[in-house]
Amino acid sequence: MSEKNIQAVDFDARAEQILAREPLLSAQDVEVTFTLRGNKLTAIRRTSLDLYEGETLAIVGESGSGKSVFTKCFVGMLDKNGEITHGSIMYDGKDLTKLTEKEWLKVRGKKIAMVTQDPMTSLNPLKTVGRQIQEAVELHQGLRGRAARQETYRILESVGISDPQRRYRQYPHEFSGGMRQRVVIAIAVACRPQILICDEPTTALDVTIQAQILALIRRLQKEQNMTIIYITHDLGVVANVADRVAVMYGGQIIEIGMANEVFFDPWHPYTWALLSALPQLGVKGEKLPAIDGTPPNLFNKIQGDAFAPRNRYALNIDFLEEPPTYDVTATHAVKAWLRDPRAPKVEQPHAIRRLEEQQGKPLVTEAASYHPHLDPNREPLVEVKDMQVTFGSGRKKFVAVDHVNFTIYKGETFSLVGESGSGKTTIGRAIVRINPITSGEVLFRGERISGKISREMDTKVIRSMQMIFQDPMASLNERAKVDYIISEGLYNFHLYKDEQERQEKVQKVLQEVGLLPEFSSRFPHEFSGGQRQRIGIARSLIMQPEFIVADEPISALDVSIRAQVLNLLNEMKKSRGLTYLFIAHDLSVVRFISDRIAVIHKGRIVELAESEELFRHPLHPYTKALLSAVPNPNPYLERAKTLQVYDPSVHDYSVDKPVWEEIIPDHFVWGNVRELDGYRREIEN
Amino acid sequence: MAKNTQKKMPKPEHEKTVQELETPVPDLSVDYSTVDHEPKKERPMGREHLRSRDVMPEKQLFEFAEYKPQEAERTGYSNYSYWKSVWQNFLKKRSAVVMSLVFLALFLFTFIAPAISKYDVNSLRVDANLAFISPNGEYWFGTDNLGRDYWSQVWYATRASIILAVSVSFGQIILGVIIGLVWGYVRKLDRFFTELYNLVDNVPVIIYMTLIAMMLDKSMLTMGIAMILFNWLGTARNVRNLVLMYRDREYNLASRCLGTKLGRILFRNIFPYLISMIILRLALAIPGTIAYETTLTYLGLMDVSMPSLGILLRNSRNFFLDYPYILIFPAIIVSIITITFYLVGNAFSDACDPRNHL
Repeated sequence: MSEKNIQAVDFDARAEQILAREPLLSAQDVEVTFTLRGNKLTAIRRTSLDLYEGETLAIVGESGSGKSVFTKCFVGMLDKNGEITHGSIMYDGKDLTKLTEKEWLKVRGKKIAMVTQDPMTSLNPLKTVGRQIQEAVELHQGLRGRAARQETYRILESVGISDPQRRYRQYPHEFSGGMRQRVVIAIAVACRPQILICDEPTTALDVTIQAQILALIRRLQKEQNMTIIYITHDLGVVANVADRVAVMYGGQIIEIGMANEVFFDPWHPYTWALLSALPQLGVKGEKLPAIDGTPPNLFNKIQGDAFAPRNRYALNIDFLEEPPTYDVTATHAVKAWLRDPRAPKVEQPHAIRRLEEQQGKPLVTEAASYHPHLDPNREPLVEVKDMQVTFGSGRKKFVAVDHVNFTIYKGETFSLVGESGSGKTTIGRAIVRINPITSGEVLFRGERISGKISREMDTKVIRSMQMIFQDPMASLNERAKVDYIISEGLYNFHLYKDEQERQEKVQKVLQEVGLLPEFSSRFPHEFSGGQRQRIGIARSLIMQPEFIVADEPISALDVSIRAQVLNLLNEMKKSRGLTYLFIAHDLSVVRFISDRIAVIHKGRIVELAESEELFRHPLHPYTKALLSAVPNPNPYLERAKTLQVYDPSVHDYSVDKPVWEEIIPDHFVWGNVRELDGYRREIEN
Repeated sequence: MAKNTQKKMPKPEHEKTVQELETPVPDLSVDYSTVDHEPKKERPMGREHLRSRDVMPEKQLFEFAEYKPQEAERTGYSNYSYWKSVWQNFLKKRSAVVMSLVFLALFLFTFIAPAISKYDVNSLRVDANLAFISPNGEYWFGTDNLGRDYWSQVWYATRASIILAVSVSFGQIILGVIIGLVWGYVRKLDRFFTELYNLVDNVPVIIYMTLIAMMLDKSMLTMGIAMILFNWLGTARNVRNLVLMYRDREYNLASRCLGTKLGRILFRNIFPYLISMIILRLALAIPGTIAYETTLTYLGLMDVSMPSLGILLRNSRNFFLDYPYILIFPAIIVSIITITFYLVGNAFSDACDPRNHL
């Protein structure tokens, strides 16, 4: 199933190809307006885009930038309350904005098809997978009976699903997430469309599966000569797939160009900010250049450049007039006043240069070359011994965490990395005692805190251990004021003398996380995701904890906001001497923030090492597969990488039982004697 | 942008909001003490004061604007307040507003009516000669089959029924909500409450009511309490199912991490989410109780010595073909109550649902 990426790309050659052609689809001055309970929202603000045959165009933007809405216009799938109020979309000699629903049937699916984000909701759970693909085949290719069935088998095989005869008869719930997405892609390409729109097709999938799906899309494109529009918020994915990149902000394309131009020579301050804020380009131990604020609210009228209020390079005119589009090269256009001849000359920020220079390796500073295991004074804070967590009982018993051992030392950031369902969140929750553990024990400063413990101990543990949650939308009580949310812990243990002291504490912690004291009288829904996440952090900080379990604290946030939260966590670590258990699935973030990393697979930690050591000498095949799949925001490197696929059957544990062993100081691997010997040899070389 | 917000909101709050908005920058490298929170009067170059090109010469247009981190925070802000939106949405439903005013007037009138009526409901005399007098200047609503003044009876009955309906409805909803919350949240008690629910629900309630009426007494108080004791089932089940939805949301896990006690979690974290549904159930329970009371009276399970709407309706069934007014007066009042609570309940519960807010 391993699908190799094509080797080095020649973007210049592609640019020439594109320039020589007429656009396949041409959207001019498109404006889309939604009506929401009487209020008008302009989601797309007069933007234009040309699509050329055979190319892969990636559209990048934060949530609310209008990237999905814009492309939905190309398939006539705008929601009922939305309409195209201006502009034209020319395709095949026709203006798509003027098509009737009947005419759309000849275009949608046949000529222009779409793959959406969540494979679970785009498949019908009551029909077999084969039947659903065959429907598309019958409808669009006019085949019937046996021929249609044969064609379906062929398509299933072409999207990398083995044993198509058996798979044909199965239902969507019998498929894994990645397999389901393959089926959705199969349906979309069943009628050999000319244009395929992929709307965040891999966002809900794990990195290793994501890499496979990306490779599949790329192969299908080559085989069928499709033109692909790829919508994503992940710059690593963009680097992997795109020939051309369009950056959207506030309902407009603000920069468009060949992938190498946008990544290495961008000229819109938003693109600069977006790239600079990537943790991959961060210097460990230093602050990431974060973008302040939040994306614009499209209910308000936007004057000038939508990005201006957040733009450190904003000119006075940015607040007054919308910038025109300036050409940088024949294929590269930027919508920013900064490119005007009258504007002051500025250089691109450092981080942009760094992207090209560092070749995908983070800058190593003193902070990064610090080796925790050489520190003689380090003391264990949390010890997890032989922890096992099972859910259900009897035949339905499910082992979520399987005999896991690790120690977190005081003052470090310990990361737990794994795919969804690997048990990483369960471990975090078991440590803070939301989930009970089945066997084993958890020690906090040498004292057992799992199982039944005394009341005083219980209070002590609650006060010294806190948790930060993944989804800032779900982790705050919507119906309580910020003041109550933050003081909840204070109320529970009456940690204040009088009302005045309580309020002072709330104000202090709000300031600490970078929010204004006045915010305490508001409700959470008034805040953006990043602000809400900071409120959640304030809620745990007010307990004066020593140890915080951060459960994917940034994965639900927009790219531009992630850096704010990462900076805050690092800042708190320094100023309060906190210790973190950082749970994540994104290795690039983990490398930036952590001192030591544990890789978990199917409830078992397979490898544990110091951060840089793990990236330099990954030993376990699963770690290697995970590392190879991490998207890198450098198109040349990303496209040249070879994907490794982890196959658990390489381990033969039938005779020789595996053990958890420290191979070199502070580098642990799970393996049997033969494997461990191999790993040792690997490290020596 | 600032203009837009101004239009939507009353002035004082707007001013407060703008100040609140002056968020310090999340990037911690900025020194907050230098951030100026004063209005930008002395700074004509300030960002939001510029409205057109003429404000400054072209050369200045292409100079860097001063970077103000607070302005960055402002972009994503929406000025939304939950209860204000609830109220505004409710006021939009004209029919509900009108009907609630009508109902309020009706209820207040039940207290005034005895004062202006010519006969006291407590000292009405039975006189066969006066039976079935149609409404006139002396007997405003006519008289009933026993020759008693109907006006005083109808208003007394209305007040009694509304008070009974409101207290029984509140009682059953409060009981139902408390049981439902505990049932849904505490895993250990799930089995117990499920069995209790089945036990009560599997026998028709009317049988329990008959038993109570026979063994205890038929007074309004007893039957009211009996209604509360057997009518919490629906609410409890509904609440329990919703609690299951919210129980394992992250904000509840967060509360557990903070060591919040069960009672506080239930009433601060979960109860507020159920308000929309509880109000709807409450509003529908009020006409429901009146109908229930009518049924009980009809079956002879209620004390008939003092009038209630149920009793009036029951008595009217033998005569309304000949004397329609006997039925019409109580029927109109029951209809007003039912329609009001139906409309108000729906409108309010829609208004409470944040999905209907902007």
